[in-house]
Amino acid sequence: MLGGMMLSTGSAESRLAGLPAPGVGLPALTFDRVGMTFPDGTEALQDISFDVKPGEFVTVVGPSGCGKSTLLRIASDLTPNTNGTCSIDRSSIGYVFQDATLLQWRTVRSNIELLAELHGHGAAARKQLSDEAIDLVGLRGHESKYPKQLSGGMKMRASLARSLVLKPKVFLFDEPFGALDEITRERLNDELLRLFQIERFAALFITHSIYEAVFLSTRVLVMSARPGKIIAEFKVPFAYPRDHDLRFDPEFTKLCGEVSHALREAHA
Amino acid sequence: MTVTDPVPGAHSAVGVSASELADAPVNAGPKRHQVVDLLGPFVVFIVFIGVWYALAYGIDGNFAPNGKPLLIPAPHQTFSGVGSVFGKIWSSTQISFWTALLGLAIAIVLGVGLAIAMSQARWVERALYPYLVALQAVPILAMIPLIIAISGANFRSRVITTVLISIFPIVSNTLFGLLSAERNQHDLFTLNSATRWTRLSKLQLPAAMPAMFTGFRISAGLSVIGAVVGDFFFAKGNPGLGRRINDYFLNNQPSRMTTCAIIAALLGILFFVTFGWISNIAVGHWHESSRKDAI
Repeated sequence: MLGGMMLSTGSAESRLAGLPAPGVGLPALTFDRVGMTFPDGTEALQDISFDVKPGEFVTVVGPSGCGKSTLLRIASDLTPNTNGTCSIDRSSIGYVFQDATLLQWRTVRSNIELLAELHGHGAAARKQLSDEAIDLVGLRGHESKYPKQLSGGMKMRASLARSLVLKPKVFLFDEPFGALDEITRERLNDELLRLFQIERFAALFITHSIYEAVFLSTRVLVMSARPGKIIAEFKVPFAYPRDHDLRFDPEFTKLCGEVSHALREAHA
Repeated sequence: MTVTDPVPGAHSAVGVSASELADAPVNAGPKRHQVVDLLGPFVVFIVFIGVWYALAYGIDGNFAPNGKPLLIPAPHQTFSGVGSVFGKIWSSTQISFWTALLGLAIAIVLGVGLAIAMSQARWVERALYPYLVALQAVPILAMIPLIIAISGANFRSRVITTVLISIFPIVSNTLFGLLSAERNQHDLFTLNSATRWTRLSKLQLPAAMPAMFTGFRISAGLSVIGAVVGDFFFAKGNPGLGRRINDYFLNNQPSRMTTCAIIAALLGILFFVTFGWISNIAVGHWHESSRKDAI
């Protein structure tokens, strides 16, 4: 019942919404039988195979400690995998960390310009790029504040803007909203979907939250406890743009229930 | 509060709402009670003067029959008989000031340099750190012959003494600061192919600033001690406060000696406060735990 569950209405409805149908074109990110065993012998990941195409939003949910974050570290080459292959265009990755990871001594604008600075863009180009990103995440008017003056939600917006500046083709999200309160989290979920529609990147998102996973994604992958394996896959049929109220749709709740059952199985 | 649907397009309809701003941390807490702020130091000062009087009059034979102090002066006697030697004491103060400042400057350059070297490679840290700890532990007295052999008994030797006494807090605090950048911040730089130099200049050094200034402040106080102690042993050249203290002690002039000791203490406070002030300017606007009222 769980393993191969696929609902196939996703692509048609997305076309109605004017997006490129997910699952079309070459994958932006491919895991091919990827495994990871740490030097101390711990097997974190086993035989992971899936891909993410441009315009796809794939979320991985799983119990804590199952190696979800390791997946992102492998994708971005921060940690080399021990088995299989992972292909991705490494020059165009946006990585959003669990915490905002802002540099405390820089203003919001200066933080948002950081990556452009590291990649050698001039001051004028940096200003233009950061201006766009600041507008995209709604931080206009807060550019000259320091991180200590921001709330958790605003820090995360700044972190998102920083990743957006270089317009990466692939976004890796490592539980970015996990530490936020529910209202802020939902609002940022809405915002993130809006950005996703504008920028049309390929997204791989890690989270503990089933609701967040289903609300954001085109596909939800369920991971088992260590060693992490993909044990179930769900296509999410809802069209973009997704309304805030989708969260109260019976279909939405039903799908969340199914993912939850799969997760319980993963825990067992 | 309205819950707005996200509008695709440039400016966010959701934006940043009042509730999100409301939980933004605010820098200053309620303003501290100013009376308490002033009363504390005042009370301690009164207690200090009281203990001083008690000591001065409690010691048998502290005063000659004519009332002159023999060992320690009473507080009101401290500056008596200083006027005639004011010029000497003032020039010695300047000598000690420059000894301390020069020694501290050299200690900062050397100390930060050593810390950077140690932060860049584990083996450098392992190679150097034990010897720095040892240097800190060896009494400066035991190094006097070595310093004389290398440099003589002059002004330069006093500066060397100052460097030796004040360098360790700079190295240890700077190293701690350089290694304090978070793992995610390092990952961010790794993901963007930052060079070692970029990582150092844009991540590690800025992150180290608060800890570095803590080290500088501790060492600023120590540098004055170094300058005064160096004076005791390296007598060539113009005398600093340490030599004056020594001379007045040997000549049984406790008022003058105490005056010099107070000036040395004030020098230490001046150095400490100055670095606190520089620290506030440098990192106060972004550092979480900085206190505007801390000196």
